[in-house]
Amino acid sequence: MTSRALLLDGVGVRLGEVDALRDVDLDLDARTVAVVGENGSGKSTFARLAAGLVTPTAGTARILGLDPVRQAAELRRRVAVVFSNPDAQIVMPTVAEDVAFSLRPDRLGREETRRRVEETLARFGLSELRERSSHELSGGQKQLLALAGAFVRRPELVIADEPTTYLDARNARLVADHLLADTGHRLVLVTHDLALAARCDAAVLFARGRVEAVGRPADVIAEYESALAC
Amino acid sequence: MLSLYRPGDGILHRMPAGPKLLLLLALVLAVSLLPSRWWAAAVAGGVVVVVYACAGLRDGMLGMRELARQTVALRWLIVVTLALQLIFLGPEAAVANTTRVTAAVLLAGLLSLTTRVTDLLDAVEHGLRPLDRLRFDSERAAVLLTVTITTVPVLARLAGEVREAQRARGVRPGVRFFAVPFLILSLKHADQLGEALSARGVR
Repeated sequence: MTSRALLLDGVGVRLGEVDALRDVDLDLDARTVAVVGENGSGKSTFARLAAGLVTPTAGTARILGLDPVRQAAELRRRVAVVFSNPDAQIVMPTVAEDVAFSLRPDRLGREETRRRVEETLARFGLSELRERSSHELSGGQKQLLALAGAFVRRPELVIADEPTTYLDARNARLVADHLLADTGHRLVLVTHDLALAARCDAAVLFARGRVEAVGRPADVIAEYESALAC
Repeated sequence: MLSLYRPGDGILHRMPAGPKLLLLLALVLAVSLLPSRWWAAAVAGGVVVVVYACAGLRDGMLGMRELARQTVALRWLIVVTLALQLIFLGPEAAVANTTRVTAAVLLAGLLSLTTRVTDLLDAVEHGLRPLDRLRFDSERAAVLLTVTITTVPVLARLAGEVREAQRARGVRPGVRFFAVPFLILSLKHADQLGEALSARGVR
């Protein structure tokens, strides 16, 4: 973790006719960063930018010191993403196969792949379900599987875009605990759950594609709530 | 479909995916090329029973429970094929042709029953690798094939959700009101899946 996690200078992202992000300046190096804001405020675009899934149409961005335009492949190797809908992330028919699928680009040997998969399944409490059909799991189990598929690659940065949206309180807490646990990764957590945002080290508030506030979660949340009250 | 895999330790389970694919392909071809005679129907049926019995499917009935389950799943194919040919070709050709078609599908089904998708993915990629010299991307082709197959249950679930939503709103079942939302949901899923694959490092 030698480079700044997120360094954005005048970044804009235009999606079709819409300016999803405008003139975003950010310099964040906290281990866990919450991203809050209303629907359509640019949070998810920011998350996709940080994951190298969209590229800036203005300004310059460095994620883990990498240029998301010229070093996209390297960025994707070091960054993992967890989306709100786990169904769209599940590719393989069984739990263990789906976790192993994430390791295909790394071309590890069969034994190393098996070891990493078993280790990750155990960490996320999925060992008993390893032969189960991925699409027949409960919502909470599917999201844990999505997390396992992300963490098995041992990413430096995890981007989680509203990962607890479809979960009940118990599973939401379980997923959040896994994401926030310090296992050597950084986290960018897009969320509408302000209690969850408060557990992060730093927070960013987006509104209409711009950064409205950056700082301690308590301060950023207070500003967000005062904006909501208007 | 891809939850069809049944863990087991029979000869087909132990066989590498590539040779197994070729073996089953050869059997399917052999059964398909049989003539339209009564004896051919018996041979095709016999081959299926023997191969399922040897597959080691651990269903407690030497593979026959699984064979029955697969055959029931094909009931409409059997009924339609048989009925049409009975009208135009007579009983011998109808029974023989229907048995050959059913046998071919059942034999092909053994591939997914005894092979993990991961192994199939590796085998397809390995088999296509010589084409890489012609600028063919075997890795991408194998992933494409896998994603296509594994998306079938997802699309089935989306179709169920559309029908359920329509019933909840009192819309009468119909192709027009089903096709549009189903297409939109499918395209949205394709977008999300593409993004998720990119995020998982797949080119």
